[in-house]
Amino acid sequence: MEIELLEIRDFLAHHTPFGLLPSELLDTLPKFITIRYLRRGTGFPTPELQTPENTIIIVRSGVLELQDSQGNLDEKLGEGGIFPDLCSSNDNTAKPQIVRLGKVIEDTLLYLFSCKKFLELRHQIPEFNRYFSHAISEKLKQAIDNLHEACVMAVEVRELLKRPPVTITHTASIQEAAHLMTTHNVSSLMVLENEQLVGLLTDSDLRRRCLARGLSSQFPVQSIMSAAVETITAKTLLSTALMIMTRLHIHHLPVLEATKPIGMLTVSDIVTYQGANSAFLAVNIRKAATLDELVSSAKRLPELQMHLANSGASALHIGQIIAQITDSLTCRLLELAEQKFGAPPIPYVWVAAGSQARHEQTIVSDQDNAIILSDHLNGNHSDSSNSDYNLQSCSESYFIALSQFVNSGLNACGFPYCPGNTLAQNAKWRQPLRVWKQYFHDWIECLEPKALMLATIFFDLRPIYGGMELFNNLQQDVLAHSKRNSIFIAHIVGNALSHRPPLGFFRDFTLIHDGKHDDTLDLKHRGIVPITDLARIYALSTGISAVSTNERLYAAYQNGALSQEMADNLRDALELIASLRIRHQAQQIQKGSMADNYLPPAKLSTLERNHLKDAFKIIQTMQNVLADRYPLGRMVA
Amino acid sequence: MGTLRWYRKNLQRRIALHRANGPLQDFLIAPFPGPYTLLQDVDLVAVDIETTGLNPRTDSILNIGMVTVKNGGIHLDTAWQEIIQITNTIPEATTVLHQITDDQAATVGKPLSEVLPLVLNRLKSAVLLAHHAHIEQSFLSIVCQRFYGAPLVIPTIDTMALMRRYYERINRPIHAHDLRLFNLRKRYNLPRYRAHNALNDAVATAELFLAIIADRGGTGYRLRDFC
Repeated sequence: MEIELLEIRDFLAHHTPFGLLPSELLDTLPKFITIRYLRRGTGFPTPELQTPENTIIIVRSGVLELQDSQGNLDEKLGEGGIFPDLCSSNDNTAKPQIVRLGKVIEDTLLYLFSCKKFLELRHQIPEFNRYFSHAISEKLKQAIDNLHEACVMAVEVRELLKRPPVTITHTASIQEAAHLMTTHNVSSLMVLENEQLVGLLTDSDLRRRCLARGLSSQFPVQSIMSAAVETITAKTLLSTALMIMTRLHIHHLPVLEATKPIGMLTVSDIVTYQGANSAFLAVNIRKAATLDELVSSAKRLPELQMHLANSGASALHIGQIIAQITDSLTCRLLELAEQKFGAPPIPYVWVAAGSQARHEQTIVSDQDNAIILSDHLNGNHSDSSNSDYNLQSCSESYFIALSQFVNSGLNACGFPYCPGNTLAQNAKWRQPLRVWKQYFHDWIECLEPKALMLATIFFDLRPIYGGMELFNNLQQDVLAHSKRNSIFIAHIVGNALSHRPPLGFFRDFTLIHDGKHDDTLDLKHRGIVPITDLARIYALSTGISAVSTNERLYAAYQNGALSQEMADNLRDALELIASLRIRHQAQQIQKGSMADNYLPPAKLSTLERNHLKDAFKIIQTMQNVLADRYPLGRMVA
Repeated sequence: MGTLRWYRKNLQRRIALHRANGPLQDFLIAPFPGPYTLLQDVDLVAVDIETTGLNPRTDSILNIGMVTVKNGGIHLDTAWQEIIQITNTIPEATTVLHQITDDQAATVGKPLSEVLPLVLNRLKSAVLLAHHAHIEQSFLSIVCQRFYGAPLVIPTIDTMALMRRYYERINRPIHAHDLRLFNLRKRYNLPRYRAHNALNDAVATAELFLAIIADRGGTGYRLRDFC
C-alpha cells in the first residue's frame, strides 16, 4: 500500500537525512505523514501545527523564514528543509527546546512527520541520528573553524576509499589473520560472519590481547577481535568521520553499504588526504633536497586538483593554485641546478609562457618556458676579445646544462615537453635580451602564420626566477610596439577567429568525430583558447601588461576597450567552461584514467548543457564584434 | 449555498435506502453530516478513479484511490488504492495514460465486487471530495446500481466546480485547460507530480482543496459553504 505513495517516498529519499535511511524503511514512512498547506504571509508555526502528538515539519514546496529569540533571521527553509523544534527528544541530549517563530514567505506545502516515529528512527539508525546531533555541533564548529578547513572536510568518505576491504572469517586463526595483514600491508582487518561485519581486528588487538597475554596464535580471530564496532557509510562526511574517531579514540572505521563492508577509513587516510592540501605541498616542495623528492611531491598534484574540484573551489582559483605550485617547482629546480652547476656566469631570467604564465594551468598542461639572458655579454660589439669568447662558450654550456636539468625535471614532475618544443633547453628560446627584442619585432612586422602561432605563446609571458628587470625591459618594448601596429593586431584577430566555439546553426553542439575522441567537445581549443585569444588581443591592442585572462579582461573594461557587461560575460563563460573541464578531469583522475580536455556533453545535465551553450554563444558574439572591428582579420582567417 | 439542496439529498438517500441491499444499505443507513458542521470536523474523502473511458455505462473502472482529509490535514495513513480486475481489454490510449496494462489489471487487480464494499465503508458518514466529481460520482453510482440495486447518494465537494465558480465571480474568462488539476495546482504553488495513478491524483486533489481553503482565509467554513 505505502509503496504507491512513491512520489512522497521519493521526495524523502532525495533529501538528507531521510536519504540516509535504507530503502525498505523509506517505503514505510509516507504513512506517518500528514500534509498541510500554509498561505503566504501566515505566521509560523500556526496553532494547528502545535498538536499534542508532536511532529517534525518538512517543507515539500514553498519557503519559510525563521527568527531567533532576538528576532533576527535565523534560518530560511526551502524545499526539503526541516523544522524539528516542535519535536524535542527525550534522549540524553534533552534540554529545554526553544521553538523558533517565523513567517511563511511563499505558499507552502508541509509534510508533518510523526515525532514519535522520528525519535524511533534516530534511535534505530545511527547515521540518521548523527545528522541531527551533528547539525547542532556543526553550527558551533563553523564559528571556530576557518572556511578553508570546512571546505576540505565537506567531502564524502567515498572519495578516500582507495581499495576494497581486507576481510577474514570469524573462525580463522589469529596466525592466519596476522599473515593476511602482513601480505596486504594493512593495520586492521574486518571480521565477517556470513558476509556480515561482526568485529574488527587491529595491530593493537594482536599486541594487547594475544601476544601480551601469551594466547596461542591458533585461537580463532573472534576471541581477540573488537566486537560492536562503530561504522559509517560512503556518504558520511569526512568531518563527521573525524569527529567519531576523535570522540571514541579509534583509528579505524569500517565503511558499509547497506550491511556489506566496502572499505576501511583510517586516520592515516585522512592525514594523507589533508596532506594533499596545497599548503602542505608547497612546503614539501620548498624542503625537497633532491629531484626525486620533488618528483614525489609533484605526483600529488593530480590528487590536489581533484580534491580542490570536489571541495567546490572555482576553476580560476584552481588554475592559480596549480600555476603557483608549478612556479615553486620551477624555482626549486633552478635552485638545485645552481647548486649543482655553480652560480650563473651572467644574469638571466627564467620565464613561463602559455597557461602557466596566465595562471590557468591544469595538470594536463604542457610546459612552455624560455630563458632571457642579459646582454651584458658582448653587449659591446666593438670589443670581442678572447676572454669574452671564453665567457660566451662557458656561459652557453652552463645554460644548456641548467635548462636541460630544469626541463627534464619538470617533465619528470608530470609536465610533458610541449609538441612545439617551446622549451628553455631549445637554443632558439634561450637568447639574450636583444635577440628576444628582435624576435618580437619580426613577429609583429613580418606576419608569417608560424610567427603568429609563436606570438600566441610568447605574448603570454611571466617571469618566474632570476633578474626581473630583464623581463620588464622586454615587455615594455613589446607592448609599445604591438599597440601601434594595427595590421599585426588584425592578423592575430584573424588567427583567433580560426578557433570557433563548437556551436551549430540550431544551437546544437558540433561534436568531434575523429575516431579518437568521438562525441566529445574539445573544451580547451574550442572553449578556453578562444577566450584567452580574445583577452590577449585586447591586451596587445591597448597596452595591458597583465597576463592572466581574467585580469586582462578586467583591465580591458577599465580602459574602456570592453563594456562591463561584455567583460563580465567573458569571465563567466571562462569560469564555466574551465570548471566543467576541471570537474571532467577530477572524474577521470578518480577513475584512474588519464585526464584530458575532451568532454562528452552526454555526461552533462540539461541545465549544464544549456549553460555551456550560452557560454559558447557569448564567445561567438564577441568574436563577431572583433571581426567587425578588424575587417582585415576576417580576410586573413 | 445549499441547505435546500442538502435536504433534497437526504431525501434521495432515504429513497435509495428502500431499494438498496448489501454494503450499500449499510452505507445509506448512516446519516450525512449536517450542513452546518464545521469543515474541520468532517471526514472529507478525496477520491480519484482511473477508467477505460468517459462513459459510465460502457467503460470500466481500472484503479481507485482514496485519502482522508480531516482537521485541515491530509492523513496519509488513510491512503489506499486498488487496481480493479476487468474482463474486457483496456484500450491502448488509456494504458499509456494510466500505465496500467491488461496484464496488470488481470493479475494484480481485484474484482470490483470485492473492492466496492471497502470503498463504501470508507465513504460512510463522509463527504466525497474530487476534481470534476461528476466522473467519480457517476461511475460509482452505476456500479452500485448494478451490484446493490440503488445509486450512490453522497454529499460531494468538487474542486473543479469551486474554481469555476470562483473564476466566474471575479469575471475571469475560463479556458478549458484552466480548470485542469495540473494548472490549478501550479496556481497555488503546489509541487508537480510525475506519477499519474488514482492515489496520487486523490492526494493531489486533496492538496488543491487545502490550498483553496487557505486562500479563502482558512477557518470557520461550514459544509454548506462548499457542497
